[in-house]
Amino acid sequence: MKTLVYGVWDGKVYDLRKQSAADDAAIPGLTGLEAFAPENPVKVFVADRGFMVFDENANLAGAFWQYLARAAEESCGKCTPCRVGTVELRDQLDGLRRGETPSGGLHSLRMLAHLLATTSLCGLGQSSGRALLDALTHFPSAFDVKAPVGEQNGVIYTTAPCIEACPSRLDVPRYIDAIRAGRNTQAMDVILEKYPMAASCGRVCVRFCESACRRQDAEGALAIKMLKRFASDKAHASGKDFFDPASVKPVLSTKKKVAVVGAGPAGVTCAYQLLKRGVDVDVLDMQHKAGGMASVGIPSYRLPKDVLKAETEGAIVSLGGKMVYGKKLGEDFAINDLFAQGYDSVFLGYGASRGTLLGVQDEDPTLKGYFSGIDFLKAVHDRVEDGVPFEVKGEVVVVGGGNVAMDCVRSALRLGAKKVHLVYRRTVADMPADHEEIEASEKEGVVFHCLTNPSRLISDNGKVVGVEVVDMRQTEMDARGRRSVEAVEGSEHRLNCDVVIAAIGQQVDRATLGETDGIETDRWGCVVADKDTMATSRPGVFAGGDCVLGPQTLIQAMAHGERAALSIVQYLQGETPVVLPEQRMQQLIADNKLLKNECLKHEVMLKDRQPVPEQDVESRVGNFTEVEFALTQRDAYLESERCLRCYRHYLVVTENPLADTARAVEFA
Amino acid sequence: MKALINNKECSFEAQESILQVARKNGVFIPTLCELHDQGHAPGTCRICLVEVKREGAAASEFVTACDTPMQDGVQVLTRTQAVQDMRRVQMELIMAEHNQDCAACSRHGDCELLDVAETVGVRQSTCTLAKPGEIKVCEGTDQAIRFDASRCIRCMRCVAMCRDIQGVDALSLVGRGADTAIVLNGGDDRRQSDCVSCGQCVMVCPTGALSENDQTQTVMNYLTDPGIVTVFQIAPAIRVGFGQEFGLPAGTNVEGKVVAALRAIGADVILDTNFAADLVIMEEGNEVLNRVLQKEGTTFTSCCPGWVDFAEKHFPGILPMVSSTRSPQQCLGSLAKTYLPQKMDIDPQHIRVVSIMPCTAKKEEAARPELAKEGVPDVDVVLTIREFARLLRREGISLADLEPSAFDDPLMSEYTGAGVIFGTTGGVMEAAIRTLYYVANGKELDGIEVHEVRGFDRVREATIEVGGQVGTLKVAMVHGLKGAAQMAQAVLDGTAKYDFIEVMACPGGCIDGGGHLRSKKGYLKHAESRRKGLYAIDRQTGARQSHNNQQVQKLYQEFLGEPLSHEAHELLHTHYHANPREVDA
Repeated sequence: MKTLVYGVWDGKVYDLRKQSAADDAAIPGLTGLEAFAPENPVKVFVADRGFMVFDENANLAGAFWQYLARAAEESCGKCTPCRVGTVELRDQLDGLRRGETPSGGLHSLRMLAHLLATTSLCGLGQSSGRALLDALTHFPSAFDVKAPVGEQNGVIYTTAPCIEACPSRLDVPRYIDAIRAGRNTQAMDVILEKYPMAASCGRVCVRFCESACRRQDAEGALAIKMLKRFASDKAHASGKDFFDPASVKPVLSTKKKVAVVGAGPAGVTCAYQLLKRGVDVDVLDMQHKAGGMASVGIPSYRLPKDVLKAETEGAIVSLGGKMVYGKKLGEDFAINDLFAQGYDSVFLGYGASRGTLLGVQDEDPTLKGYFSGIDFLKAVHDRVEDGVPFEVKGEVVVVGGGNVAMDCVRSALRLGAKKVHLVYRRTVADMPADHEEIEASEKEGVVFHCLTNPSRLISDNGKVVGVEVVDMRQTEMDARGRRSVEAVEGSEHRLNCDVVIAAIGQQVDRATLGETDGIETDRWGCVVADKDTMATSRPGVFAGGDCVLGPQTLIQAMAHGERAALSIVQYLQGETPVVLPEQRMQQLIADNKLLKNECLKHEVMLKDRQPVPEQDVESRVGNFTEVEFALTQRDAYLESERCLRCYRHYLVVTENPLADTARAVEFA
Repeated sequence: MKALINNKECSFEAQESILQVARKNGVFIPTLCELHDQGHAPGTCRICLVEVKREGAAASEFVTACDTPMQDGVQVLTRTQAVQDMRRVQMELIMAEHNQDCAACSRHGDCELLDVAETVGVRQSTCTLAKPGEIKVCEGTDQAIRFDASRCIRCMRCVAMCRDIQGVDALSLVGRGADTAIVLNGGDDRRQSDCVSCGQCVMVCPTGALSENDQTQTVMNYLTDPGIVTVFQIAPAIRVGFGQEFGLPAGTNVEGKVVAALRAIGADVILDTNFAADLVIMEEGNEVLNRVLQKEGTTFTSCCPGWVDFAEKHFPGILPMVSSTRSPQQCLGSLAKTYLPQKMDIDPQHIRVVSIMPCTAKKEEAARPELAKEGVPDVDVVLTIREFARLLRREGISLADLEPSAFDDPLMSEYTGAGVIFGTTGGVMEAAIRTLYYVANGKELDGIEVHEVRGFDRVREATIEVGGQVGTLKVAMVHGLKGAAQMAQAVLDGTAKYDFIEVMACPGGCIDGGGHLRSKKGYLKHAESRRKGLYAIDRQTGARQSHNNQQVQKLYQEFLGEPLSHEAHELLHTHYHANPREVDA
């Protein structure tokens, strides 16, 4: 890596040709550029906050030409400086990079860059002009082109805080643009580039995107999840077949077949991405329906099963995949069997479906009335969906503070429990569950016992009759500003109940993989997979979702599934799966927190977030019909108009081509 | 909270924009995309730049005044050199991709864009910074309204109008970068799309991007063809809306001058749509009467073609409730090719009927195949007021200078006060009630006027004691399609029960129809004065009830027999076609 020659970052000007190396020569607060790609030095880096040049002979005009070309392409076309200004700047830079002198001189370019950076309507325009303005202001001579240059090696990556926060890197502002334009099927197409479970994700996603939304600095994050649900519901209602087999575009020259183990979000997404590329896929699952945890673990009042089925099994079958139910890895088959049967590659997405025990005194998993959260939800699912008898009577105590605990308390109420208690060792504020879920549980009448922890199960004749709990208190804040909890001695007391549900987490079923499978696992029993390619220790076997991460989220599982599919295609092409250039950029952005803690630069007019329409508590507690409704068209417009479109582009110009840029484009 | 604008202290409330605060304090900031009276501030043109100085801040900020809230303690400067330079370059960028063939533009001489260009000091129409893009061809040449993408500045006023004010949601801004353009929702051509041609988008467009399909040349051709007998009709709202084009105050009655102008350009026969409005009351009033007496439920009015189109596309379920009576324009057109030639002994094949309407949807209506006889339309050409003004300019006529003239034809030009108020919301209802009262009670309504149905709220209702066999009448008046949609849905749901519902697609009714003169930087600016003008004419008219129109009575005696007769059905009634939209997506 060559060292920084000159640049501007966050308004600070660096010129190592004039400053001595001792003058804080290090790249300001930015690490990882030197190792951006192995054996491939970075020549220029351009971003929203500035630019850096590492090669004195780099054609800066050429770099900015590429940068502004992307801006002109991505402009939403509404405001003048971005719609017209980016095109104008691009064309002037095009002349400059070829050694021509612009008609209005650099002065006119500066004015345009200034307008673009300071007067654009949204983040895209604002961020596209700043580095160029800095360069024209402080290093005008760098635009005297000695040797004309064409398109340079490297990568340009467009993202936004919400996109980077999303494990799937879903282009959130883009589908919101489509919703704002009343084009819901187009919005759907944007989502479907990543995963098929759009309407499901629009109902149950944990919304990393909303946590990153910069509207939070004003009046609150956008209701991104609700918008996704709105668009996908509307799109499905339009009658268009989004899983039309005609949409398949084969990328391999020969027929290949992949076994996907597990029909949860990871497996379904992997299968979907493979099927879209013309690869044959069989999806094997131990259950008798698709969806995995999203099916048995999420009650239908949050995610109706017909919605889920249409975009899991429905999508796979429609695209030509095969569902094979009732087959469990480790019991009915082993990985060797799959290769022996002629599968060319295997994806493992079997999840983490074993409940965790409380680990308290007198605990006996066989006690009548004692369940793990996931077993309880499975029983609820089987009763509601398949009519398998399952009764909940009397009082129920659920232990835990996550979304599974909330699903348990709300399901118990719906099954007719007399009273439902939630026991959690920390405070409500510490609960990892979505705050909407916590509020809904409270509204529906769940009794919360916070700073309370179970200490003993009380049974009589093989049946749960109560649980002994102990009060907890918060300790003083530690050096990192965190509080722990500790038991209050002698505060033990008894909660009488008929059912105890331990919703304190899940784990991977260690019996799934054996020695002969040849897959490395970690000390929690999770599959070890490369974070960039999802490759396991066994060639041709890839893995993702909860069986790799432990119990995590729907969106993380889908992201893994998509990523693994791309690697599987590379593997089937006889190549070694590689890190994609955009992944390198994502890593750089993450390592340097380039999008974190961003704040609004200008005051904006406040536009209130649209509330989620929902059923009355009275009409919903007795049944499993969906609680939330979709936004109305009007509210969807209002909500989509709140988006600030915080797009930014990141350009790295490298000496040599980045690996597989062409293929990365093909995947997109 | 307090801030300084150009060193003058201004107090303001939280969340007031800099532009709002400036205006309250009499400080001018140039704007283009914004439509102040509709709260439309999309922030797309970026012309309203101001410089903001904050205490302690090293440098000034430049922000757009329309979408930036005023902050406590800041200094806002609206006229610094930097601000002026930035606004000017911004405007040059707009101009750079704008089709500046101004001679060919529908806003010729009346353009908000050029006004703002002058305001910010752009004197030259060519931009030295930016190369003009490829001039895009005009798109969407439809019957009534056309969109010229090469003149669109993406102010989004039309989208907001269609979506938020009218609730039709037929327009969207789609695409990316320089190709971003307004497109129709639901289909590429107007008939497939959600658009109902109400023309309210045209009324707010600041440039010539949206305009009526200009048919003045066709009318010029008629006028100069000696073999053609031109029959003109003018809508009720024309006489109170047209004077402004020639410098007269809004609402001034220029009926006599319009007649004189038509005569001056060589019109052969000049009729008044007001006459047909009276005739419609006789037909539609009898329909309502029958339906009320037989308890057949709600009747909707049918004189507004935007509304009829809207019902066909979006609420086909209510079509059986829509009166079968044709609109006044079409009744008059039908008679102008049957009754008129018979009376005047002209070959109907030589007749061309030209309507002057405050409406774009009337162009669509005239083109309906069911409103033609053997393939020949009853109304050959509909001119909006704007085209009419263009026609007069082409003939070198200045309306203000003309001596008023009177209709001279003994046929189909007499009107009553009831006919003329058709041009405003509530007017059709009031006209109907005046006649229904007479039918029910055998005497005229005391005081004539029915103030219960007047007003400007978008959805109004009234309970009218008509008496006699009619008894109590529950009526509703709706103007603007957003209200119409609510009303239609409520009627379909059974939650709204009315005997008679008047619907006008345009907010205000025909006095602010989509074919009216355009206002700059404002919407419905002149509705109130035009409405007053119509009511004033009503008060001055001798007969104020449609059934007292002598020429209408004569028409029935000599030609049609009686209301709802076989002949009347043939010539004055129509039917509708459900044209339901696809599920919105």
